[in-house]
Amino acid sequence: MANTISYAPGTVVVLVGTKRGLFILSSKDREKWDVAAPVLKGRRIFNAILDQRNGQRLFAADNGDFFGNFLRYSDDFGQTWQEPEEGIQFPEDSGEKLKNIWVIEPGRRDEPGTVYVGVDPANLWVSNNGGRTWELNAGLAAHPTRARWEPGAGGLCLHTIIPDPSNAARMWIGISAVGCMRTDDGGQSWVFANKNTRTDFLPEKYPEFGQCIHRLVQHSTQPDVLYQQNHCGIYKSTNAGDDWTDIQQNLPSDFGFPIALDVHHPDTVYTVVEDPQGRQNVSPQFMVYRTENGGEQWEQLTQGLPGGNGVVLGVLRHGMCTDTINPCGVYVGTNTGQLFASRDRGDSWSLIADFLPPIYSVTASVVV
Amino acid sequence: MDSTGAIPIVKVSFPIALRARIGNRDSVKAVGRTVREIIDALDHDFPGLRFNLCHETGELRPFVNIFLNRENIRYLQGLDTPVSPEATLYILQSVAGG
Repeated sequence: MANTISYAPGTVVVLVGTKRGLFILSSKDREKWDVAAPVLKGRRIFNAILDQRNGQRLFAADNGDFFGNFLRYSDDFGQTWQEPEEGIQFPEDSGEKLKNIWVIEPGRRDEPGTVYVGVDPANLWVSNNGGRTWELNAGLAAHPTRARWEPGAGGLCLHTIIPDPSNAARMWIGISAVGCMRTDDGGQSWVFANKNTRTDFLPEKYPEFGQCIHRLVQHSTQPDVLYQQNHCGIYKSTNAGDDWTDIQQNLPSDFGFPIALDVHHPDTVYTVVEDPQGRQNVSPQFMVYRTENGGEQWEQLTQGLPGGNGVVLGVLRHGMCTDTINPCGVYVGTNTGQLFASRDRGDSWSLIADFLPPIYSVTASVVV
Repeated sequence: MDSTGAIPIVKVSFPIALRARIGNRDSVKAVGRTVREIIDALDHDFPGLRFNLCHETGELRPFVNIFLNRENIRYLQGLDTPVSPEATLYILQSVAGG
């Protein structure tokens, strides 16, 4: 019988989804980190979260190379895994085939059984029983413009889900390359929220849809404020996505994938912009960028981060996150298997894991 | 179906990656007249197995190979390939990935 795994309250648990398994790191002080042996070994784990609304359940997006894609969950920190009774599989008559499971997002605090999943081909799946059974969101599946949706390089992926904690009927999603969409009626219908975000790769620069949004975050105290990292810019909205303002300012590139926010100082936002051709650090110094004024000005964070001619690093859209401790921790995983962490809001960094497989996602939770 | 009219019972051999699905065995017996019926029977006994092998739209996953004895069913009649009682089906993952 396997030893029971548990973590003391206050422990930070970082889940790292990689090309070849799920890694679980833990720390009581965010200085010394334990790196456990991978679970779901060998599988492409696009995303993993720890849901603590009702117990402690790990969810993982297991995109196998050969035998299908499965949403899996574990109540013992990865020692054993379950499959849903009715999983994420399109109806046979839909003509759709599940390509990848991209993101898992817990529902609101007062809906502890609700979990959302975004997939390729871009669709939203919902469970209301903690992952045991899943339903396809019909409103998005039947969107009247769907036939004109085009994929990004990574696929037609629904990669971001934000259930508004202040409004049970409102949610945002991000789809590459369709853009940001919002529902104001609990998912029955969806509108585009792309005004003033660019598509430099299309003849029309500001279409209604077709944007390649990479990631989206919501302000933790002002629910109408959103930030997005896009293929063509970094933007802020103060009206729930009705329109957007370009906040690239002094960032050296408009291209990047991840974006994250300090929940205690929500005008503090982090991004990792890249050379758009090489998808790597713009200069030989790898940097994380931080604004502390909602995008008016960005600063370069480099202390403890590598630099030099041989430093060529990329961070994918789910490869950065923050924790909920104050001062917040920031975690950045590269597509070459390095995991960097800061325990002081990004002022300084440490390499807490290396030689991992390419990192797809990083999520951090504080054990309750 | 053989000459007596009975529906064939065939042996189905599984790759390591799928053995947990079938109770940690390397092979099982299944009843069916075609590969498709065999898969249906297996999915009845081991729920979820069809999704391991086939897309929702019914076709075999691209990196899954099924051999009827020594022949890849992709070069026979695909999932509609008929099976006989003495046959063995081999489910294998193709040489792919990276």
